[in-house]
Amino acid sequence: MNDLMERLQRDFGVDDITVRKPALTTFRVKKDSAETLIRELRDREGYTHLNFMTCIDYIEDGIFTLVYMLHNYDKKLSLGVHVDISRENEDMVSIHTLWAQAWTYQRELREMYGINFPGSPRLEEDFCLEGWDDIPPMRREFDTKEFSEQRFGHREGRHSEEPRDHMKVELYPNRGGDEK
Amino acid sequence: MNLKDLLSPFFVWQRAFEKPYTSIRPTIDRPGAPAYRGFHINIADTCVGCGSCHEICQNHAIDMVAVEEYLGREGDSGLRPRFDYGRCCWCGLCVDICTAASLRMSNEYAWISEDPTVFHFTAGVDDKPWQDNENGYRRAEGYHLYPPKRIEMEMLPANESVSSFEEVVKGYSEEQAKKEADRCVECGICVATCPAHMDVPDYIHSIRDGNYEKGLQLMYRTNPFPATCGRICTRRCESVCPVGILGEPVAIRWLKRLIVDQVDASDYQRILADTITENGKKIAVIGAGPGGMSAAYYLRKKGYAVTVFEAQESAGGMLRYGVPSYRLPDNDLDKDIDYIVSLGVEIKYNTAIGKDIKFEQLLENYDAVFMSTGLSVPSSMRIHGEDHPRVLSGLQVLADVANGRDPGIGKKVAVIGGGNVAMDAARVSRRFDAEVTILYRRRISEMPADEEEIHESQEEGCRIVQQAIPVEIVSADSEQQVAIRWGEAEMVDDPKGGRPRPVLQEDRMHTDTYDSIISAIGQGSNLDYISKEMHEEFAIEWGKFTPGEYQHTTLEKVFVGGDFANSTADAISAIEDGHHAARGIDRYLNPAAYEEK
Repeated sequence: MNDLMERLQRDFGVDDITVRKPALTTFRVKKDSAETLIRELRDREGYTHLNFMTCIDYIEDGIFTLVYMLHNYDKKLSLGVHVDISRENEDMVSIHTLWAQAWTYQRELREMYGINFPGSPRLEEDFCLEGWDDIPPMRREFDTKEFSEQRFGHREGRHSEEPRDHMKVELYPNRGGDEK
Repeated sequence: MNLKDLLSPFFVWQRAFEKPYTSIRPTIDRPGAPAYRGFHINIADTCVGCGSCHEICQNHAIDMVAVEEYLGREGDSGLRPRFDYGRCCWCGLCVDICTAASLRMSNEYAWISEDPTVFHFTAGVDDKPWQDNENGYRRAEGYHLYPPKRIEMEMLPANESVSSFEEVVKGYSEEQAKKEADRCVECGICVATCPAHMDVPDYIHSIRDGNYEKGLQLMYRTNPFPATCGRICTRRCESVCPVGILGEPVAIRWLKRLIVDQVDASDYQRILADTITENGKKIAVIGAGPGGMSAAYYLRKKGYAVTVFEAQESAGGMLRYGVPSYRLPDNDLDKDIDYIVSLGVEIKYNTAIGKDIKFEQLLENYDAVFMSTGLSVPSSMRIHGEDHPRVLSGLQVLADVANGRDPGIGKKVAVIGGGNVAMDAARVSRRFDAEVTILYRRRISEMPADEEEIHESQEEGCRIVQQAIPVEIVSADSEQQVAIRWGEAEMVDDPKGGRPRPVLQEDRMHTDTYDSIISAIGQGSNLDYISKEMHEEFAIEWGKFTPGEYQHTTLEKVFVGGDFANSTADAISAIEDGHHAARGIDRYLNPAAYEEK
């Protein structure tokens, strides 16, 4: 594994190499080199299986981190390839040519995060949010609570107390801040 | 259409007699996975009703509803979460945020009813079959949505603190305070416990926003001594902070201090913008301690002309003469007092009621009187030889030091007692280079002093001898010294269920010689300034008042507060007494404003 990592560092400039558990190492690679690197892992290093693709929204840093999880059946090792893409320019090379099933993940990522994978089949079709008309819901600027307030009605007779106000009314009604 | 198509519907019927692939609910049980996120379980006795589950829920599926049996429990809002399964999405955030770890989920997922309005229940209160389910989702050990440990406070190292009166606690930086403020879940349970009911979550929020001016305004709503309380408050708020159930409570006191430290005294007038409209009435306040000055502040704001009578040459009472400057520097106390004075509160220093002015004169000349003269007389140890000139009182030692006088304690000192005065007298003695032994009749764990004070006094080299009962003071060979005979005690359980009692073991007696013995076992009030008849009128018992509503006494014009009128005898309670008396005096003198409309 060390040899492989050294080579990836040398050839692709990967960094942030972290051994998460004995059979799982993750590292970060630049967006432009990602597809070539993944292809090489598949064709030359035995990482023939794509476990899944996912995404993390680091809104504070202005990036999405895409995660490609690959598996080598012979060595029983997994590699997590992290690729940072800008939240402003959120598109990424499609890997459906490497693994046909990747288009499904990419369709889901487009729906949930709004990430574009040009050329990926059926990308624009609804995945599980039929008729969705809001911003992609897994983007962190999406206000889940506000959405649920707007879209779903309340059961009749519901009522909630604020702990602090309730205690004032019940325990010390004539005390506390009353000036200004 | 061929024949097969025509007949196929009839072939399907033969399936009706086969074993079905689907299971029939509820007769055949198929349990959820062990960590399944099923129906909620709340341990209602452990829950404190902080409402964090309600706050975090992104679907507004949780209401906080009153459950009578829990109201009035210390640190408990009396509310419990009620779940609406028409809105829950089973994300489990409510479980992850739960401050008391009382909320989890069962792996039960089937609740069948033809009535769609029933899927709504108060977990742990309404009887549900899954309440005792052992499976289901719970928060992983050690997983917290906020850091369980507070930001550490930088302190002067003990070897440095012991040689100066420099403030021991250094205070947070803005950055540290912001991080600490982020640990607050803003439930507000502390507000009920704080004697002054300070707007704790709001001023902590002002730190998150970096808006210290707002923070200062919020604090003055309920407490005109924030610089002081930010340093030496007994902080009962922290003892009920729900964040402290699984971790360390939010450092509320230090956050309060940060706000005050960030605002310059010269900006107070502009920020607080207290405008006074004179109402022509006059109030006398006896004692310029936290109780008296708090009353003065809130009365002045209501437009009363306030005169404070103070026997000492400076204001502050016990805060100045009882709390050493390494815990509360004079200029921080002055920051609080100066602002109150700046509103036009007059203080007559070196004016003792009963000596310089008669109490009755105040009753005649003022529209109302607020008394808050505290507990200033050291309690007697009630042992033989106590009047020896080398036996000093803790209060006197602290007052001497506050006044810049050498307390004359010598180089080897015994301190008797286990309260804050004892700890302060001991730590002050260490600063005068004395070797200090503290004798306490019970165990360290039972000392009434602040845990921090006990710890710091030990750090600074004070030796604590627990279960030591003083028996007699005897003369030593030198007049500059004094001896104490004391005996070891065994703790004996109280058959009535009270706290264990120390019982002297007469076969284990010791006699030790010291340069001085500092007695600090408690203090009582000095009410010599009111006549005997009035003592009866006020129904004073054991030197203490039992005021009625709004701190009113049995005498029409007189209101009382502070250590001699409450059971807690701390600054924050005195501050609230003063504030509450101000409300009471205003109601008494201006009843029309309070009539129900």
